Amino acid sequence: MEQDASQIKEQESTGETFEPKIEAFVCTYCTYTAADMAGSQRLQYPPTVRIVKYLCTGKVEIVHILKAFEAGADAVFVGG
Amino acid sequence: MGDCHFLEGNLRAKERVEYTKKLLNEIGLGEGRLEMFHIGASDAPLFAEAVEIMTNRAKELGPNPLKCGAEKAEAA
Amino acid sequence: MIVAKRKPFNEIKELISGSKKILILGCGTCVAVCLAGGEKEVAILASQLKMALGLVNEDVEIDELTIERQCDREFIEEISTKVNVDDYDLILSTACGAGVQLLSDVFDHKVVVPALNTTFIGVAEGPGMWTERCRSCSDCVLADTGGICPVTICAKGLVNGPCGGTRHGKCEIDPEKDCAWTLIYNRLKKLGRLNRMEQALPPKRYSVQQYPAKIVHEAYRRRYE
Repeated sequence: MEQDASQIKEQESTGETFEPKIEAFVCTYCTYTAADMAGSQRLQYPPTVRIVKYLCTGKVEIVHILKAFEAGADAVFVGG
Repeated sequence: MGDCHFLEGNLRAKERVEYTKKLLNEIGLGEGRLEMFHIGASDAPLFAEAVEIMTNRAKELGPNPLKCGAEKAEAA
Repeated sequence: MIVAKRKPFNEIKELISGSKKILILGCGTCVAVCLAGGEKEVAILASQLKMALGLVNEDVEIDELTIERQCDREFIEEISTKVNVDDYDLILSTACGAGVQLLSDVFDHKVVVPALNTTFIGVAEGPGMWTERCRSCSDCVLADTGGICPVTICAKGLVNGPCGGTRHGKCEIDPEKDCAWTLIYNRLKKLGRLNRMEQALPPKRYSVQQYPAKIVHEAYRRRYE
């Protein structure tokens, strides 16, 4: 892993930029609608985000967040 | 914050996110990579801002140190 | 039910250090209800440990399994139908102290370590909150005390109270804690049974409590003779 990390640094120094992967756990009634609207309003935001839609963010389990990091997410946010 | 469709679902999520931050500190990954945002249905710019904030944070903190392992496992 | 709390993460990490393959074994009864050692908590602990060990480049395999109860041989026997215990260097149990011990008895060739600190026998006051209600003293006085246990709730365990340290319904040792005997007085008053407080209760028979205690049901005595 150390080796890989140094490889990543190397890529960065050679001009290849680090594109983070952001996981968004969102509520279908508010944040998902907002995200949808951001699209229809042609708002510019980084293409780094992957959205997971919940019927209610009250169902976001601790282990869902942990598993996202375990699988390599660079950041996670919950929107609700 | 007080206008959740299910009355208090987002407040429960907030509590859980705060607790998960503690768990992330315990394992040494740090709480900076996780955040809760209250974004209403009409707050499209706020969503764009949240993505921006988290992207910048991730760039500051660098890649998830667990990623290499996860991708290796995926490739295998 | 039995109420327990997870040990600090660093302590758990210390307990499992040196092992290459670990089974985290959950218990689906009391500790699942008190959010300390059920299937969900096993998943959280496993994920945390995998990441913590991944960050320091330690190659440890972690499996998860949750059974109905660890304080019952019948359920422990089920483990072998699901996993091969001999594959693991160590079993990290998220059961109460009783469960961990029976597990160690059954798998006496395996290292079994606890992930929880077992704390008390209590009740669920509401989601996420539990309070102690019983000291399992083997000599219940609840009939005379309006269903409120002075042995558990009174700091001094007085069966005849209150003592001089009662302060406006709170205890002298901690103003946050209720005075058990004020609670008992109010409850008996409500029940119209205040006359129960007029007579002193006999001294508590602490000798009836054995350490370690054992019960053999009369109908099953022949099996254990």
